[in-house]
Amino acid sequence: MKMFQSLGAAVLSTIERLGSAALFFFDILGNSWALVKRFYLVTQQVYAVGVFTLPIVLVSGLFVGMVLGLQGYNTLVKFGAAQSLGLLVALSLLRELGPVVTALLFAGRAGSALTAEIGLMKATEQLAGMEMMAVNPVMRVIAPRFLAGVISMPLLAAMFSAIGILGGHLVGVGLLGVDSGAFWSQMQNGVDFRDDVMNGVIKSVVFGVVVTWIAVFEGYDAVPNSEGVSRATNHTVVYSSLAVLGLDFIMTALMLGDV
Amino acid sequence: MSQIAASTNDDGNLVEIRDVSFQYGTRTILDNLTLGIPRGRVTAIMGGSGCGKTSLLNLIGGRLRPSRGQVLVDGQNVPDLNIRELYQLRKRMGMLFQHGALLTDLSVFENVAFPIREHTRLPEAVLRNLVLMKLQTVGLRGARDLMPWELSGGMARRVALARAIVLEPMMIMYDEPFTGLDPISMGVIAKLIRELNQVLGITSIVVSHDVAEASLISDYAYLLGNGRILGQGTPTELQQSTSPDVRQFMDGLPDGPVPYTYPARNYLEDLFGENGR
Amino acid sequence: MTNRKTVEVWVGIFVAAGVFALGVLAFRVGNLTTTDVTDGYRVEARFENVGSLKVRSAITLAGVRVGRVAAIHSDPDTYQAVVVLNIDGRYKNLPTDTSASILTAGLLGEQYVELEPGGAEEYLKEGSRIKLTQSAMVLEKLVGRLLTAFIDKPADNK
Repeated sequence: MKMFQSLGAAVLSTIERLGSAALFFFDILGNSWALVKRFYLVTQQVYAVGVFTLPIVLVSGLFVGMVLGLQGYNTLVKFGAAQSLGLLVALSLLRELGPVVTALLFAGRAGSALTAEIGLMKATEQLAGMEMMAVNPVMRVIAPRFLAGVISMPLLAAMFSAIGILGGHLVGVGLLGVDSGAFWSQMQNGVDFRDDVMNGVIKSVVFGVVVTWIAVFEGYDAVPNSEGVSRATNHTVVYSSLAVLGLDFIMTALMLGDV
Repeated sequence: MSQIAASTNDDGNLVEIRDVSFQYGTRTILDNLTLGIPRGRVTAIMGGSGCGKTSLLNLIGGRLRPSRGQVLVDGQNVPDLNIRELYQLRKRMGMLFQHGALLTDLSVFENVAFPIREHTRLPEAVLRNLVLMKLQTVGLRGARDLMPWELSGGMARRVALARAIVLEPMMIMYDEPFTGLDPISMGVIAKLIRELNQVLGITSIVVSHDVAEASLISDYAYLLGNGRILGQGTPTELQQSTSPDVRQFMDGLPDGPVPYTYPARNYLEDLFGENGR
Repeated sequence: MTNRKTVEVWVGIFVAAGVFALGVLAFRVGNLTTTDVTDGYRVEARFENVGSLKVRSAITLAGVRVGRVAAIHSDPDTYQAVVVLNIDGRYKNLPTDTSASILTAGLLGEQYVELEPGGAEEYLKEGSRIKLTQSAMVLEKLVGRLLTAFIDKPADNK
């Protein structure tokens, strides 16, 4: 009996949190208009969030691309289709790995940093102080970070895919002897702008919204002590990752279904 | 169920709490509280931990809503205000948080400049002078380029004070301004609170459980406990009060109306009861 | 607090690099420039079987892509498949007796429409109908034909 009771309580509290997260989301959107005049606040956050995530994204992209080159060649060569390596690498990155891996890296690096920063501001009463100075903390602190995340994600994902393709080329053409011309021409013939590139961009924007939303909400909602902030940071990474993977499946199903 | 000591007309009191009750979950923090904060004076709110002093400040600042009663600030009932009106009112209120609540990514100068930048369009030169003047008032003009983590607790609170007065508010609320400071810093803060009140005429509400310091600087004091007023009066009157609640707090007695022993079973029973005769 | 200038420079570089990457992906990796059929005109062709031909499949002439399939639907009266071909405006000199066949790229690849020009003097224009069509080869039917051919052969010994 106790088990059912705690299950019910857990479900109710989850729904309540979801509700307050949704309201928070609309609060952020509502406050975003004021930032058009004060865009420097957003720029500052793009620096903190996007530019600092760039190194890990580039390095990871390179390695993922190289591994795709290796693994792809290994399998394709059995069917005599090694010339299609470029196409394989490009499609894998553009459609899936680019948006998804970038989102996971972003959640781990930038998302957790956002949560910790906001949670700490809450714990040290900085947010309360702002409220008492008649400055809306959602407008001044939260919204710029949210917009910065949404802007940065698609750019990071594109750079991940681009450098990944280079990595695939490095391994495939440089090391394994795939013909360079075939690598690029098969890719250019097979990759469709709308189905592959645009869909990848759409995914990365959606991931950007979701990951940043979870990160700022967890920070804002954290229990204002060190344990609470640490737990909130943990939540951000776990929930964002699960959300990204789940949404990826849903979006892929929708996108492929149309074609 | 006490009466408001100073005159009840609005000329006398800047803030009026009328029959306010406030709950946190199932616990009643404030129970039918009525008190007044006279204009232009320093009023202390004292009491033990959890007696609702900080909640009272948050009710005045509009961050909490009472379950019943009115919170009047300069004639306006705070719970009735919409967001815009509330923010307008807050611009006229200053609040000093217990640890300063300075923004950690801004320097001392930028922290004090923050309200000016957010709410006005003053030219940079005017802003600079205003900030420097306020820093001078708290004696920290030379520290203007330091970052918050480079400041001691006392200095951080002084900077926060400079920030609180930069827009010349009509009142300032101090949340435990003396807690955690060494005697020298305490003296500095006490001096500043008194001076700001005397020189600028700012109504001050000091929440503290430091009886000695609060008595030194305040014109009038309330002692809260169990959600109600246990005693009130000038510091001298409170020192001479015969009420056991007031005496225990003012003298710092370990046992009295607030019991030393947490409610428990009979001692002998607890030790030997289960283990046989 | 980091210098404002520095922040703006780095953010500018970041955004520029991101947009550049997007551009590379769109134009060099994808085929954005050749996706759209410019100034196209629509021509109809009917097939018994379209196989796995899809909307936006390629239409080729001598192996060069000259257009894309705009629509595929079924005619309820004649039970045929009606395919609408969107041919690029650059290729206005296709004779009216051009034939359209549905072929497969490679052995198991995707299907496309290959046009073979005839010799008529009039050209196809908007709304014309291609009369000569060759339907897609359906693998099962091919195998069936092959089998019946083998079965018939021995019996054919005269």
